[in-house]
Amino acid sequence: MNATEGLRALPPFGIDTDRTGRLGPPLAALARRLQGRYPVDPFGGDPQLQDALAPLVEAAVRVEVDHPERLPERGSALLVANRGFGILEPAVLATAVRRAVGRRLRIVGAPEAPVVGDLVRKLGAVAAYPTDLAAVLRAGHLAAVPLGPTWLRAGAGTPPIGLLRAALDVRVLPVAVRPGGPLGLPLRPFRVRVGRPLARRVPRGSTDPLAAAELGEAARDAVQALLDGADP
Amino acid sequence: MRVLVTGMGGELGTRVSQLLEEHPEVTEITGVDIVPPRRRLRRAGFARIDPADRERLAAYVTEFAPDALVHFGVYEPHSRLVPRQAAVRTHQFTVTALGAAARTGRLERVAVRSGLVVYGRGRGRPAVPDETVPVAPTTLYGRMCLEVESLAVELGRRHGFPVAAIREAPVAGSHVPSPLGRVLRLPVVPVPACADPTFSLLHTEDAARAMVQAILVGYDGPLNVVGPGAASVWQAVRLGGRIPAPVVGPGWAVATRLAEVAGAPVPDHVLELLRRGRTADGSKAQAVLGLAGMRSTTEVCTEIFEWATVTPLRPPAAVAV
Repeated sequence: MNATEGLRALPPFGIDTDRTGRLGPPLAALARRLQGRYPVDPFGGDPQLQDALAPLVEAAVRVEVDHPERLPERGSALLVANRGFGILEPAVLATAVRRAVGRRLRIVGAPEAPVVGDLVRKLGAVAAYPTDLAAVLRAGHLAAVPLGPTWLRAGAGTPPIGLLRAALDVRVLPVAVRPGGPLGLPLRPFRVRVGRPLARRVPRGSTDPLAAAELGEAARDAVQALLDGADP
Repeated sequence: MRVLVTGMGGELGTRVSQLLEEHPEVTEITGVDIVPPRRRLRRAGFARIDPADRERLAAYVTEFAPDALVHFGVYEPHSRLVPRQAAVRTHQFTVTALGAAARTGRLERVAVRSGLVVYGRGRGRPAVPDETVPVAPTTLYGRMCLEVESLAVELGRRHGFPVAAIREAPVAGSHVPSPLGRVLRLPVVPVPACADPTFSLLHTEDAARAMVQAILVGYDGPLNVVGPGAASVWQAVRLGGRIPAPVVGPGWAVATRLAEVAGAPVPDHVLELLRRGRTADGSKAQAVLGLAGMRSTTEVCTEIFEWATVTPLRPPAAVAV
């Protein structure tokens, strides 16, 4: 068997693009990397790199998850979560999902910057275009859309109505991310609270802007309630 | 159904003609191109006509009076022709063949070759566009494909027939003349130093199947036909065991010139792919055209670097006289 026949036998190189896995022996993983034998998805995600960096992120970001059973183990769904300024909440949310259900989370909002944009896309982020979000969900991934950022992570921000138009067909779950320390400082483990799925009021295939606006308001209210300690 | 295949001499045009020959509802097939078909065709006829000879081309199409037209007379720059010739030939083929076929009054359906290049890769464009995204080509080939689509759709609207615009990812493989394939097969391949954009490819067989299905079902509208998955530029170079040469800014002008000297001219749409990537959401085409079992982008990418083993044919031991 020549090298190319060997490659053909293993598409997509034995690494799941939706479920997390183990990296395997470091030298073997490095060899695969150098030979190009790793999967890449159309959104720029690099599952092998994600599996390599996950232990480092999990060691740096401490997370406790409430109601992990509400996260879907398979199929597409959209998480709507609060966030502050910075990259902490996306990292916390991705770690929580990874730990709870062993799936990769596609966070919407990759910047169009030359180096940073490519790097965060490799780590699972997706550009903030409704078309890209719709394609991610059609491909069966679990995605997350952050509400508008708020100071000190105190409340739910503005819902991204344009993006939510692409998610009227799928399950939408509100999620609250709270740092353990005072004044929103990450001194103790983050607490991630997963809410119940929001009721869907539109028929499948709808892109009604009014329905998206209503979904956005419902998501913001649900996230705020979770932040306030209720379980709507 | 009487089917006319323009661009029959290309790898794709020939394969589409072979697949059409297998369908009993296709009663007659004929094709035109500037080069002869690449493989043996059993039922199909062929006429070698340069589209610059408009009168002869129009007369041939009018005499055949097709019910369906598969338009592969869309030449990718630096695939077989230099960009200027490719643009001129594409325009001539499109205007003359489609116009003559429509004027016969018998034309019932059209499928035209287009590409993901019509979406463009300018700033503020989605990375994975679907068919609803407005087109905004940023390269010569993209503008050529958009012109072909626009002309065909306008003719279809006037004469009342459906037009399927098959927006293909780059079609590549070991035997397919492709500027992207030639660049990737260089021993040293220019890659972006500060980025690793992703792109999707399409296998010849899947591209041909999509076109045949589109013409048989008489689909109306654009469809993205894309191989599942993607590859990154750095990954593709490593898959072929080539050496990546990181390039930034003005270095691309030098890199493309060197590639051209080495026998792999880089048209602007290939340069754009290398620097910014190119992929799309092809789920609609898979559902509408029933394209199951498509080859993944990494399989196609691997095939670019494959060369089929030559097996000498042995003469029979005894020949009856």
